[in-house]
Amino acid sequence: MSYSEDLLNRLIERGVALGADYVEARYQEDRGFTIALLNGRLTSVQLYRVRGIGVRVLVNGSLGFAASNSLEVEDLFKTVDNAFTRAKVASKLRKSPIEFSEEKLGRSKYRVVEKKPLVDFKVEDAVSFLTEVYKAVAGEIKDAKLASLVEVLKVHLQDKVVMTSDGGYVESYIPRLYVLASSTLLYQNRSLQRRREFGATGGVELLDEWKVASTVLDELKRLEKVLTKGVSPPSDKVDIVLGPEVVGLIVHESAGHPMEADRILGREAAQAGESYVKPEMIGVFRVGNQYATVIEDPTIPGSYGYYLYDDECVRARPRYLYREGLIYEPLHNRHTARIFGVKSNGAARAMNYASEPIIRMSNTYLEPGNMNFEELIEDIELGVYVKSYMEWNIDDARWNQRYVGLEAYLIRNGELAEPVLNPVLEFTTGWFYSNIVGKDKNLEFYPGTCGKGEPSQGVPVWFGGPNVRLSKLKVGVLR
Amino acid sequence: MSELAQLIMKTLTGKYDEVSVLVVKKESAMTKLWNTEPSITQSWSETHIHLRLTKSRRLWVLSFETRDPLSIIKDSESLLSLVDRVEEAQLYSPLPEPGKCSPIEEAYDSKIESFMDNPVELLEQMINAAMAQGVDRVAGTLTLSKITITLVSSNGFECSEVKSQVEAYARAFKGEISGHWAHGSTRLDLKAIEDVGRRAGYYATLTKTKVDISPGEYNVAISPLVVGNLFNYLAYMASALQMLMGFSVFLKYPPDVRIGSELLTLIDKPRDPTLPGVRGFDDEGIETFNKPIIEKGVVRSILHNSATAAKLGAKTTGNAGWILPTPWNLEIAEGDVKEEEIAQLVKDGLIITNNWYTRLQNYYEGYFSTVSRDVALLVKNGEVVGHVGRVRIATSYPRLLSSLIGVAKRRYDVSWWEVRIPTRAPFMIFEKVNITKPEV
Repeated sequence: MSYSEDLLNRLIERGVALGADYVEARYQEDRGFTIALLNGRLTSVQLYRVRGIGVRVLVNGSLGFAASNSLEVEDLFKTVDNAFTRAKVASKLRKSPIEFSEEKLGRSKYRVVEKKPLVDFKVEDAVSFLTEVYKAVAGEIKDAKLASLVEVLKVHLQDKVVMTSDGGYVESYIPRLYVLASSTLLYQNRSLQRRREFGATGGVELLDEWKVASTVLDELKRLEKVLTKGVSPPSDKVDIVLGPEVVGLIVHESAGHPMEADRILGREAAQAGESYVKPEMIGVFRVGNQYATVIEDPTIPGSYGYYLYDDECVRARPRYLYREGLIYEPLHNRHTARIFGVKSNGAARAMNYASEPIIRMSNTYLEPGNMNFEELIEDIELGVYVKSYMEWNIDDARWNQRYVGLEAYLIRNGELAEPVLNPVLEFTTGWFYSNIVGKDKNLEFYPGTCGKGEPSQGVPVWFGGPNVRLSKLKVGVLR
Repeated sequence: MSELAQLIMKTLTGKYDEVSVLVVKKESAMTKLWNTEPSITQSWSETHIHLRLTKSRRLWVLSFETRDPLSIIKDSESLLSLVDRVEEAQLYSPLPEPGKCSPIEEAYDSKIESFMDNPVELLEQMINAAMAQGVDRVAGTLTLSKITITLVSSNGFECSEVKSQVEAYARAFKGEISGHWAHGSTRLDLKAIEDVGRRAGYYATLTKTKVDISPGEYNVAISPLVVGNLFNYLAYMASALQMLMGFSVFLKYPPDVRIGSELLTLIDKPRDPTLPGVRGFDDEGIETFNKPIIEKGVVRSILHNSATAAKLGAKTTGNAGWILPTPWNLEIAEGDVKEEEIAQLVKDGLIITNNWYTRLQNYYEGYFSTVSRDVALLVKNGEVVGHVGRVRIATSYPRLLSSLIGVAKRRYDVSWWEVRIPTRAPFMIFEKVNITKPEV
């Protein structure tokens, strides 16, 4: 038995001895470094190590969580005691008990294999990498002014050991790499800002795969044209085509979030909100047409939201959130699974040792079609193609949403034409999923950090999809 | 000085040119409510250790949430080998002459700590006050904390201060309509906790009449919660590093330039002992002071640490952040509008009681939108006549701030999920604000 296994075992025994019906102990260490460059020069080097133990107990139908970053046994026993006694006190206010679903829990160890391990990635090499990216980009923007380019690189190594009183035990190691290029372009009295992110699990080899310098440069050159030559969007209703980045965000916001079972039940009502989806709609309500299939899959190798077991030791698997327009399967943890009378589908994640595991997305995407992009737009007389965005938001029931395009073009007679400035799209979730008229086969993923919970937990996710063609829609402008 | 800080200082002094150790010890207890019941109790006992190390103008910041001194020292010493291999930091400035240690007194209320083990009485007050308004259910959060902050630096600064914090917010539901209120303070005020529930319930039950409106320009009053959220974003942009990075509306509206109506004054107020962001010294050991960010509509202060100040030819404002200067507490100056006069001043328009998901298209221009999340009231001829569902404010900061026509006299101390910098905020009234909503 390893040190951590022995320690977690003692904490679980302590909780059970106090009278808890369920005890879960999780050791978690998140470590690495973040560097930032402003206009090619080093601005900050930050190292971090976040390590501790979080304990969750069920007592008298009341749920308690406590965390400490002391690894002294006496301090940790006090942590268990706090979780237990405070949950017991709160049980006086509960009318119905919280219960967990019965599950076949994992007993497993797994590690993400890196070709070039991130643990060996040196700060100076990361600085050199970003410096080279800046050199490749800076002199190439000539019509507009590249007023600022902020580059961030983050190495994140995550070790977890989760043990539960009903037999679960999972050890994992997940390394992640993240790069951000955040730019401001100025031209006459216009300006434009872009955040381009790269993120995945794996090792240093990701930097080669991403082709950061050429990707950022190519995009900035296109955005330079948007800024210097962009026109206002058409005032009449036109066909709309959305790129994978925008589609990915839409399905994250309007399929992933509303299909989190804790939201559906109201557990996040005072924070991240509730859902337009009600329990009785599952399996019977159609939110969209036959193209509206949204998949959530933590098991995609190399993905930013990758894991094989969740933080309740339940094995992860792909799930259909929407299937051909039907509201199909919510994301569950053991608590919501019990309420819905199903098995958990392994969606419980915790940001760090000090966070309770809650229902989270991992990698969410719209199922691609089988056309190529040219076929998707070939019969559009006049339309707008929105490839990327900056501003977006959605209401807390996940129905009323808005996206403001950044890289966008007119489509004229089946071909991309001149760039469009700041096209504004507002629609409801029901309209979007019911008005998909075509999808191409180019599935792309983009990284994000999804926020939820109190205290707020940011966890890495991917979102993605193909290029999607929609029915005609009126495009707005910034005012 | 904490033993851990002492050990770190002793080990690293001499190896680095400058060493600063910031230790934040936090004991917290949170109860989260769901359908009028606790969904979970959460407790934290944490020590956060932050180090600022410099050598030959190289700068490193280290953040630890571990109490293991060996791993902290090992990580810290590992950076020494980088000195010859990493360039000088462009935002380096030597630690300033230390200020005097003048911790804020009276920011600690022992009553808050006394309720950590059993907050049931407080929770019941909040819940019952909401339910008494006739709502169906209540969600929310009550968080009680004790925080001790200690800073020790090789420039001779050594200081420690302690504060307590209560944060309470409730969202009450009546059918499809919800109301929300929030309170944050360093002091426990039972009446304020009760008022959170009462006001959440009040807004949830104020009207049942749904009225559809078209997108367009409306006079709009925003609640202290909305004010807190929007001015949090604005204050973040007042950080000098945000300006250096290009992500700030204050690049176009620098000090002494008008950004809004004369009715608007926004103050960074670290020395207010009742607001939970209270700080007597910043992370560089500079004594904090209150300062206007915007005064009577004119930009007055950009928030600096020593490094950003040196870069931009300014003086530190006591807002360090070793890397990112940050506001501590915000206060909006009071106006003269009585709350019962707000609907009359709006005359025909909206009262937005809460919002979320504020996002910017362009920080340089200040273009943003934000979505209402609880009841948004329709006002006609100075009377509330119904609610309009969820709508969006879509505008730019300069445009919004210039359209301010009224500020309420009464202010509320607000802190919650969408207002992370504690803010003392009144209702504010704007004219001709762009309101959008999907038409499909």
